[in-house]
Amino acid sequence: MSLDIDSHIRHSSRYVGRSVPRREDRGPLTGRGRYVADIKLPGMLEVVFARSTEAHARITGIDTSEAEALEGVVAVFCAADLSDVNTFPDYIPYIGAVRQRPLAEDRVRYVGAPYAAVVAVDRYIAEDGASLVAAGTTYEPLPTVADLDQALASGAPKLYDHWESNCSFDVAPHKPEVDRAFEEADHVFTETYVSQRQTGLPMETRGVVADMVDGTLTVWSSTQSPHMVRTTVALMLGMPEPQVRVIHPAIGGGFGTKTHIYPEDVVVPWIARRLATPARWIEDRMENLVASVHAREQRHDVEVAYDADGTIRGVRCASMLDMGSGEIFMPGTAPVFVTNACITGGYDFPNMEARTIGAVTNKTPAGAYRGFGIPEGAFVMERIIDRVARLTGTDRADLRRRMLLRPGQTPYVMHGGGRLDSGSHTESFERALEMSAPRLEQVRKRHAGDPDVRVGVGYANYVEPTSPSYHLTTGHWGGGDAATVRVDPDGSVRVAAGLSAFGQGAETTAAQLAADALGVSPQDVTVVLGDTERTPYGLGSWGSRGAMMLTGSVLLASERLLDKARAIAAHMLEAAEADVVLEDGAFHVAGSSRPSVSWAEVGTAAWVRVVDLPDGMEAGLETSGFYHPENLQHQLDDTGKINAAASWSNGTHIGIVSVRISTGEVTIEDYIVVHDCGTVINPALVEGQVHGGVAQGIAGAMYEHFQYDPDTAYPRFASFMDYLVPTCAEVPHMEVDHFESPAPEQPLGVKGCGEGGTVGPPAVVAGAVSDALSEWGVDLTECPVTPVAVRAALRAAEANRGGGSGAPP
Amino acid sequence: MKPAPFEYCRPSTVDEALEALGSSESSRVLAGGQSLIPAMNFRLTDVSLLVDINRVEGLDAVTCDSGGVTVGAAATQTRVLEDDGAASVVPGLRAALRHVGHLQIRDRGTVCGSLAHADPAAELPAVAVATGAAIDVTGPAGERRIDAADFFHGPFWTALEDGDLITEVRFPAPPPRSVTIVDEICRRAGDFAVAGLVAVIEVDAGAVRSARLVGFGLGGVPTRLQAAEAAIGGWAADHPVVTLTEAVMADTTDAFDDIHAPNWYRGEAVAALTVRAALRALATEEEV
Repeated sequence: MSLDIDSHIRHSSRYVGRSVPRREDRGPLTGRGRYVADIKLPGMLEVVFARSTEAHARITGIDTSEAEALEGVVAVFCAADLSDVNTFPDYIPYIGAVRQRPLAEDRVRYVGAPYAAVVAVDRYIAEDGASLVAAGTTYEPLPTVADLDQALASGAPKLYDHWESNCSFDVAPHKPEVDRAFEEADHVFTETYVSQRQTGLPMETRGVVADMVDGTLTVWSSTQSPHMVRTTVALMLGMPEPQVRVIHPAIGGGFGTKTHIYPEDVVVPWIARRLATPARWIEDRMENLVASVHAREQRHDVEVAYDADGTIRGVRCASMLDMGSGEIFMPGTAPVFVTNACITGGYDFPNMEARTIGAVTNKTPAGAYRGFGIPEGAFVMERIIDRVARLTGTDRADLRRRMLLRPGQTPYVMHGGGRLDSGSHTESFERALEMSAPRLEQVRKRHAGDPDVRVGVGYANYVEPTSPSYHLTTGHWGGGDAATVRVDPDGSVRVAAGLSAFGQGAETTAAQLAADALGVSPQDVTVVLGDTERTPYGLGSWGSRGAMMLTGSVLLASERLLDKARAIAAHMLEAAEADVVLEDGAFHVAGSSRPSVSWAEVGTAAWVRVVDLPDGMEAGLETSGFYHPENLQHQLDDTGKINAAASWSNGTHIGIVSVRISTGEVTIEDYIVVHDCGTVINPALVEGQVHGGVAQGIAGAMYEHFQYDPDTAYPRFASFMDYLVPTCAEVPHMEVDHFESPAPEQPLGVKGCGEGGTVGPPAVVAGAVSDALSEWGVDLTECPVTPVAVRAALRAAEANRGGGSGAPP
Repeated sequence: MKPAPFEYCRPSTVDEALEALGSSESSRVLAGGQSLIPAMNFRLTDVSLLVDINRVEGLDAVTCDSGGVTVGAAATQTRVLEDDGAASVVPGLRAALRHVGHLQIRDRGTVCGSLAHADPAAELPAVAVATGAAIDVTGPAGERRIDAADFFHGPFWTALEDGDLITEVRFPAPPPRSVTIVDEICRRAGDFAVAGLVAVIEVDAGAVRSARLVGFGLGGVPTRLQAAEAAIGGWAADHPVVTLTEAVMADTTDAFDDIHAPNWYRGEAVAALTVRAALRALATEEEV
């Protein structure tokens, strides 16, 4: 899309490109952030959900009488009470329909599934009531499936009686050119790579407050997508959309988990409507670990055809997603498609045949998590390259050099149709290598005298699809957002956008964009987000779309506003419109700065002193723009391919680790990121995104892992004692450098940057540890890389070598 | 994560505390509450009455003499950690407390509370066993002194009876010319250990003379590594490591197996810690 104002900003930018200080930090940092849990309404009741303690069972009875008799309990609701609530829609035609009810009716499919809501005067009593409901619930246990193998085994117990098996989808393209590669290649190896189950884990858990007054239902929700919550709640409760208002107040992180619309988002508003009393539910951390979506649990069975010189000829990869029970809206199926779409990263590698499979298991539903399938694919590709390098005696960095996209090779269409519009794939890798070389020397020197320590280096070159289509994920929504820009009588600017924000810095970004577009200072711009009554429709924040959506929609609206403002100013200056320019925050005739008309004078004319307007001009100074990236595809083309992202960022991560042989402890000694997200609006914000993303990537590489009992599908975690989140003590210092390859088809050349940080670490850490332990032939195929995993790999290597039971040293 | 209903009282003398503890069947002593309160919030433990001993006079004392350190029931971990006298008389206390939780936890958590809680992965019970501490208890059966070696019966299970209150614990000073080392493998800073070791090692002329080796995170109670204690006598830096590691592996065949680590890993880890401790102790002697 080409906007006039785009070039205007490129030339006169004063704020875009600068680290304008964040405006959204004062509340959280001073303890005055107002989160959902801070909302107190008169007479507000507390809701606690009774949740399944069985992984798979029929509910044979729920005796709520003891809970209802408890003093302070107002009501207990079960599925039968919600007969006037619709079923969550199954919009995606090619996946198994789960027909999810807001509360489980007679069947539970994971530990944590909500089946009753206890409403009481306070949380303590509500929990007492929920305990009594739990004690009054009887189950008939059903056989469980705890993992992909169990789910897909023939004769496996089925989660959904109306399905043929536990397989939700199986999309298997066939590529004759890959067959040929296998016929011609010198060698083939097969391997299975595994990414473990994790979650996004926002610091603030989910929460909903609802109140129905005078026919309007107001819902405060800790969500990433308030407009989508409104659309869905109205649909589920059978209400007109204008009578539902969804507000997200301050939000303490989302990381994808809050893109979904959960049973609680519907049940709490229903309770508020039913009881005509405000009601709230705040997810506690115990619930959060089972009741908010999990992610990343994938298995990849690969076959790799390669030549003796290290050339990788072709890859077949079956990527399998463990969907958990699948009972989540939107479905958590899309990440594995993204895994396959992005699996070849920044490499020129078209000969990929990627099959995509999803299966349901008796675990918490899988869904979105920052990175959204990209890290799993990068892990597979980088491990494959390292393996081929080792098998053929090729230098790992050289092999990557041979494969990376070179300058001038973009636009480049990937194996699945993703269109890399631009990027710095080779340049980023070379820069990162330069940065890492002296550091690697230092680390080697530091540990040279210790016979118990080995040092290794790991690489990842990835691409990050930004501003993706939401149609593949939801089967319903698309991929655009609206913004409204208004200039008030005093000349102040108000920007309202359908995007939401929870720490990324979208308010700061929007103010920078509007300030440059309208020639004012960011301090003059008020930004409104996160309230469906005060903002135009938008899909919220996810998919690294905020920067691009704000740029497109704010510039579009600003351009329209500027046209009208210039006409008003020209009239007041008694000049021709074409001669009027905007400079230093005021309009004047080109060539002479006096007389001039200020924004306040234009705003006053537009709203108040309408006598100053040109004859026949409509009053007011407020314009909207709905931005939709024009090259963004929502559906597969005839060849089964799709470019489901508006633009593609890229980056290189290099990590240097030391490994203690005797204990398997791994230390990340140095971590380097070279990142390219096109034109940078605010360098400090981008840097923050990279740091936070890498921290979460390291969580996946080394720490976080939801484990379930293989025999019972029962969670083997209950708290942060079992689910290990890295702290500042575990996250290393990182060096970040940038390239800026502007997106050729996007306003200002902006791309997204929210997720790339998460992508590298699993591949980098597994690669670096394998490198460190290469003398034993260790080649890791799974994350997390724990001390136990390292020792197990060393023991296995020693056993393979026939070295007896003892592991090194 | 809200507790079931419970009563609370805050006595000001030991006698009042004992009376309160005896007045209710599932009464519990509240000192720092860093384990008890989360367990109540998780509804994992049934408590009808919390008896808060933080205002009981005289229970928060930390006293040192050349023979050892005495820590009262309400003395916080931070208080002991920061006590230079305690650190010089019983170095294992400071060494262990550095590994206990985080600042906020140590500011409230107590040394005696950690012993009474008897988490098998905790450092302080192992220090108590390694140093031969004596635990003073008062309760319905009167006052008595329990050796640390007899105090820990299993995970979260001690010699304490219903209505008992630990009043203080006495950690005796280790032998002269000994080095105390507390080391552990934990996944994150401040975590409970996957496996750990408290070693009190006496060195003489470049070799280990004898050592008290107590593992934690291995089994239900702090684990004396008896084969390793036998094997380490006379060991020197140029001796084969395998004599130590094999002895530790023999001591740890029954180590825990859970989501954090299989038992073989715990054995290997403590073996590595034992070697590291011996080398450090020998190096320390050289410096002196």
